[in-house]
Amino acid sequence: MNVKMDILSPYKEATDVILEAGGEPLKLCYQCGLCTAVCPWNLVRSFLVRRIIHEAQLGAVDFGSEDVWTCVTCRACVDRCPRGVEIIDVMRAIRRAVASLGIGAVPDALRISAKNIAGVGNPLGEAPEGRNDWAKDLKAKDFAAGTEVLYFPCCIPSYDPDVKTVARSVATIFNELKIDYGLIGTEAKCCGEAIRKAGHEDTFQSLAQNNIDLFASNGVKTVVVSSPHCYHTFKHEYPELGGKFEVIHITQYLASLIKKGSLKPSKEINKKVIYSDPCYLGRHNDIYDDPREILRSIPALGLVEFPDARENGLCCGGGGGRIWMDTAKGERFSDIRVEQAAEKGADIIAVACPYCLLNYRDSVLSMGKAETMQVKDITELVAQAL
Amino acid sequence: MEEIRTGVYICHCGSNIAGVVNVEEVARYVGTLPNVVVSRHYRYMCSDPGQDLIKKDIKELGINRVVVASCSPRMHEPTFRKAVEDGGLNPYLYEHANIREHCSWVHDDKKLATNKAKDLIRAAVMRVSHHEPLVIREVPLNPNVLVIGGGIAGMQAALDIANGQNKVYLVEREPSIGGHMAQLDRTFPTLDCSECILTPKMSDVGHHPFIELLAYSEVEEVSGSIGSFKVKVRKRARYVDENKCVGCGDCEEKCPRRTDSEFEMGLAKRGMAYIPFAQAIPNIATIDKREERLCKAACKEACPIRMNVLGYVSLIKEGRFREACEVMRRTNPLPAVCGRVCYAPCEEACNRGQFDEHIAIRGLKRFAVDYELKMGKHKAVPVERSKEEKVAIVGSGPSGLACAYDLVRQGYSVTVFESGPEAGGILRWGIPEYRLPKTVLANDIGHIQDLGVEIKVDTPVKRLGEIFDQGYKAIFMGTGAGMSQRMGIPGEDSPGVLHALDFLRQVNFGVKVDLGSKVAIIGGGNAAVDAARVAGRLGVEEVTVVYRRSRDEMPAIPSEIEEMEHEGAKIQFLAAPVKILSDNNRVRGIQCIRMEMGEPDASGRRRPVPVKGSEFTVEVDNVIMAIGQRVDKAMLPKELAYTDWGTLSVDPVTLQTNIDGVFAGGDVVSGPSDVIAAIAAGKRAACSIDAYLRGEELSVEEGGKVERLSEEEVTKVKERFASRNRVGVSKLKPETRVSGFEEVEHTYSPDEAQDEAGRCLASLVEGCFECGECKEVCEADAVDFDQTDQIIELEVGTIIVATGYDQFDPSVIPQYGYKKYDNVLTGLEFERLTCAAGPTEGKILLKDGREPESVAIVHCVGSRDQNYHEYCSRVCCMYGLKYAHLVRELTKADAYEFYIDMRCFGEGYEEFYKRLSEEGVNFIRGKVAKVTDEAITDEEKGKLIVVSEDTLLGKIVRVPVDMVILCSALEARSDADHVARLLSINRRTDGFFLERHVKLDPVATPTDGVFIAGCCEAPRDIPDTVAQAEAAAGKVLSLISKGTVTLEAAISTVDEAICHGCGRCEEICTFNAPKVAIKNGALVSSINEALCKGCGSCAVVCPTGAIAIRHFTQDEILAQVAALAEAC
Repeated sequence: MNVKMDILSPYKEATDVILEAGGEPLKLCYQCGLCTAVCPWNLVRSFLVRRIIHEAQLGAVDFGSEDVWTCVTCRACVDRCPRGVEIIDVMRAIRRAVASLGIGAVPDALRISAKNIAGVGNPLGEAPEGRNDWAKDLKAKDFAAGTEVLYFPCCIPSYDPDVKTVARSVATIFNELKIDYGLIGTEAKCCGEAIRKAGHEDTFQSLAQNNIDLFASNGVKTVVVSSPHCYHTFKHEYPELGGKFEVIHITQYLASLIKKGSLKPSKEINKKVIYSDPCYLGRHNDIYDDPREILRSIPALGLVEFPDARENGLCCGGGGGRIWMDTAKGERFSDIRVEQAAEKGADIIAVACPYCLLNYRDSVLSMGKAETMQVKDITELVAQAL
Repeated sequence: MEEIRTGVYICHCGSNIAGVVNVEEVARYVGTLPNVVVSRHYRYMCSDPGQDLIKKDIKELGINRVVVASCSPRMHEPTFRKAVEDGGLNPYLYEHANIREHCSWVHDDKKLATNKAKDLIRAAVMRVSHHEPLVIREVPLNPNVLVIGGGIAGMQAALDIANGQNKVYLVEREPSIGGHMAQLDRTFPTLDCSECILTPKMSDVGHHPFIELLAYSEVEEVSGSIGSFKVKVRKRARYVDENKCVGCGDCEEKCPRRTDSEFEMGLAKRGMAYIPFAQAIPNIATIDKREERLCKAACKEACPIRMNVLGYVSLIKEGRFREACEVMRRTNPLPAVCGRVCYAPCEEACNRGQFDEHIAIRGLKRFAVDYELKMGKHKAVPVERSKEEKVAIVGSGPSGLACAYDLVRQGYSVTVFESGPEAGGILRWGIPEYRLPKTVLANDIGHIQDLGVEIKVDTPVKRLGEIFDQGYKAIFMGTGAGMSQRMGIPGEDSPGVLHALDFLRQVNFGVKVDLGSKVAIIGGGNAAVDAARVAGRLGVEEVTVVYRRSRDEMPAIPSEIEEMEHEGAKIQFLAAPVKILSDNNRVRGIQCIRMEMGEPDASGRRRPVPVKGSEFTVEVDNVIMAIGQRVDKAMLPKELAYTDWGTLSVDPVTLQTNIDGVFAGGDVVSGPSDVIAAIAAGKRAACSIDAYLRGEELSVEEGGKVERLSEEEVTKVKERFASRNRVGVSKLKPETRVSGFEEVEHTYSPDEAQDEAGRCLASLVEGCFECGECKEVCEADAVDFDQTDQIIELEVGTIIVATGYDQFDPSVIPQYGYKKYDNVLTGLEFERLTCAAGPTEGKILLKDGREPESVAIVHCVGSRDQNYHEYCSRVCCMYGLKYAHLVRELTKADAYEFYIDMRCFGEGYEEFYKRLSEEGVNFIRGKVAKVTDEAITDEEKGKLIVVSEDTLLGKIVRVPVDMVILCSALEARSDADHVARLLSINRRTDGFFLERHVKLDPVATPTDGVFIAGCCEAPRDIPDTVAQAEAAAGKVLSLISKGTVTLEAAISTVDEAICHGCGRCEEICTFNAPKVAIKNGALVSSINEALCKGCGSCAVVCPTGAIAIRHFTQDEILAQVAALAEAC
């Protein structure tokens, strides 16, 4: 018989691979489709989250599909899933199956970043020795046992010439307030959060082990980070691998200084500022108020909100390794965000995540709005207002 | 000593035990233990052949102790005790070893499991040898039953039990029974009207001779145990006498305050006095009083006619202005007049004045009447004449009109005789137009005439006889005190000297009065102020009021004095005229003397005393004397008797004059006073005349007592509410005023009036504030504000809990827009919408009154969702289908069902689903992500857009609709925990009450004698609820039929030799079993065996070890523990 129609042959081995790779929670899904309906991708194109989960349940995942790499891990679906399916874990497991078993293609851009991370410890492929070059003229000391906090800026602010200002702003603020902080040696590597979400588990394990050992041998007790992604993995994933240190996001740290009265921004920033909640600070870690407290403390600054702020905040599109992949024009969430900010009459989009910063800056430029709209990390604004 | 002969029986439980435990090996081992005579293993010990093994061994081998090793004792201990008893032994000579739940089910390692089974059985064998026969006793079961909850489950259970002629107490928290089912419109799948099938049952419950319904009541305390529960029920005060109330609903109609009706899910309002719905049982009103009023209602008490100020102010606050007028007219015949010229003792007394500023009561009164007039006043309906007698009123001033008003409303024929050309008396001729426009007065009088009072003008009454001759049976004299007092000073009769009343009368009737440019007014009362202000309006340039006391003593209304001064008049205080100076018959001035305030006189007022040699002259062209008024005897019939003061002499209580049937009141009796006092006198006379005509004794009402708030009370108010001063009214500018007689004070706008009325302290509390309007209108005299909660003590043998469910509040899912968008409704709200007796009379309407063109029905709102409730609420799919059907039937709208899985499992349910498919309902499979009004296409504009994935299409759908119905979950009552504690029953993690066994004992609870039915156990539909209620009733009836309760034999005993009587056992016991008392000269504890449950708490706290639990003695426990310890 010559069968023309697609026949689904459940492929149990594939299911087992996914389950083994940490996709256990997918069993709970009852296919209501809420995940699809809340997924930001469906604002720009069709992305049937529910169907992927069902395919995974039956072992019928199309490992070659680009959908494998689509999820931005923003957590909008997980937060509302009625059965508590950890959809991000399922997506990660599928990617892990592809990356480790070679049963599908890893997108080129991701492959290069993954190679860079594995090779030189940062996605940009920059020299490890240059990791702290951004701070050369800022008299930032090296971390030594007894130093109060370690500042860990994330690879992008460390290397990216356009984003270095974020790290430099933090150092400036710390210097100003005479905070006892230090930078760790150039042996530090990428935190590994995103590459793990992109399915490269082994790379993550080796990065994490490197950093954990490095911190431990230097006697690090407290780490202040600029990236919510570093924050997330340090706080929730490193402890399972033996990392024992306190981790504080820079917005939490600055907000506490403001509360104590030791940080008082005094210069006016007479601008309308709209704050975009980074997924990994907001939905993943429930930090919504600290960034806003900081912005409110800046004289003359007018804070406005996106229509879908806080728990409903729209992703910039950079999570889950997407920051390294190409997103077609017309499908960029950050473009929607910039449009929304413009509608609200904002002069500045304030962010608290290097990925958000990169994506929004790209959108502002490509949409020709550079004249009227700026994108700033909160720490840049604080440094400016000191 | 008896020889211990133990038989041990090891159950395979099929492969449940034998699959893991080597039962043969265990049996062999057990056979070697001391005292064991026989050790057997068998496939199913609980089967009849299994039990027969035991019985046979007792008979044939003479065993006197039995151990069975099998499943949990919860399951089969009773079975084997029974077998032992059937075999001829005492059932307590038995011990149970659990080698299933405690061994085979929880272990994989067969060898270790086998060893553990040996250990457990060895321990049981050691223990059983210490067992002693125990006596099992029975006590009678109280056949009375308590049912908690009057929804369909509670009602059904109560009816079943009561139909068996057993007494049932049905306790319902709400004012009426009926529960949620009473709120439903139609029931799926048959679509029969919920009310039609429910109300006959409600009625049966209400009238059943064996059911005592305790509605608006809550169970407060339950003690005792099966067979003899003691229950305390709090019967909450309804503030309505249940025996008198006839359920007419008048109180609710008149209640000035409205709140969201719980029954109508907030889609309609109810009064604070209310009956929740038309078919309520009991059909009696409830007054929703939640806290004590913050003020003392001093306004009402201070009012001479006790107007219901709280009532009408509150109605104004609610925007119910016409009704406010009705409330005023119930006591006051002249509200428009009083809204202007009353001196408002209510305002003076108003308790809010102690906090910031008193309420502008007079202004509010005026506003309401003015508003009514502006909107077109309805003509009053004439009162039907029900009394034969005719009454004559002489004088149409305020007292006469008030008397006539009250009498005509009592059914008398009333005629008013007025000597002047127009009715109104001093109101008509004495009060200037700018204070009381003629049209306003005419409106009030017109209302009185509309009711049936005849007014004959230009008809002076000279002889009382001629009135009686015309057939009048009683006469009221309300002729006033219309004659000016003379001062008795030289020059008083000069031309150019006028008397205030004559002056005002002339002006009011349009007679031209010539005045010079300077005028002096002598006096300090209202007439003086009126004359001064009128003079100003007639073009007088300099108006001077000469008053012999100081400002504080001036009797005129203070605000009037103030306005007069604004208009330019001057006041000479502490000055008295001694002589009018004239030239050529023209007044040229007055000679005055300065006064000073001397000692207080008998009346308490300080007397003015002339200062010698202080004479001075005021140059004026005219003098208006306003030093007082008196009764004009010449105008009155000769036969009447007078007091020394020149007023009519009357009986102080009945107001009857010296002539039988002739009564008098107002200024003619009291001397010059104010409008409201005259109205009060007229009303009192009306009562008296009514009593006189009916030959009855006059009942005298106590006068009001004006109370002030204490310091603490004022502080309490301040803590709760911010200070807010009264809303001012605009007035004509003084310069504009004096050019004419236009009314000076403007009236409030509706917004201002509502704002001002909102300051009333009385209406700041939640719920009823005892304005008493309901009490006034209740013909059955059922309202009783002195009612208090009652505690009723009941004794029952069994209890059924049927407390129902709460609807999940979908506003906790913000994405669904409930409470954010008008047309997002819950299921119960939609039920009320389609119900013919509901707020829209059964029409499916949007908030703006339009019919929807499309409706979305969202399933699983709060159900099947671990963020809210994981369980399925079981009824939503079916009622969701019902909604779609109703939408299709009652409107032209499209219906969309957003479902995840359709669960249509009952009789006729799947068929109903099929029918709905035929009816063209759109089914979209997907959980709704959000409901939004943010349109992205033109088609979506003005709509609510429901966003979901259609999981069957694999596409996101955005469905624009007009109405969204959220099928909200059923959840456990918010106070389920409290009820569970009260009855010592348990809840599942989902919050509902836990049954004893999910399959085999679904309506019993772990507490003997307490049963559960309906949605308090889990969400279920009506058929299942009724079935469960009947099951619970069946359980109860079987207990009643047996009539006795078997008491636990394994209970506490006290060794009196070592008991110290410390009482700790008494403290810890929740069943009140131990009692410490003196016995043989020593304080010792003893146990009431009927109450003891054998829980062992007392034994644990007993410091001397005097208390032991039978069957759990120290010997028994230690033997068992020691045997287990051997294994270690």
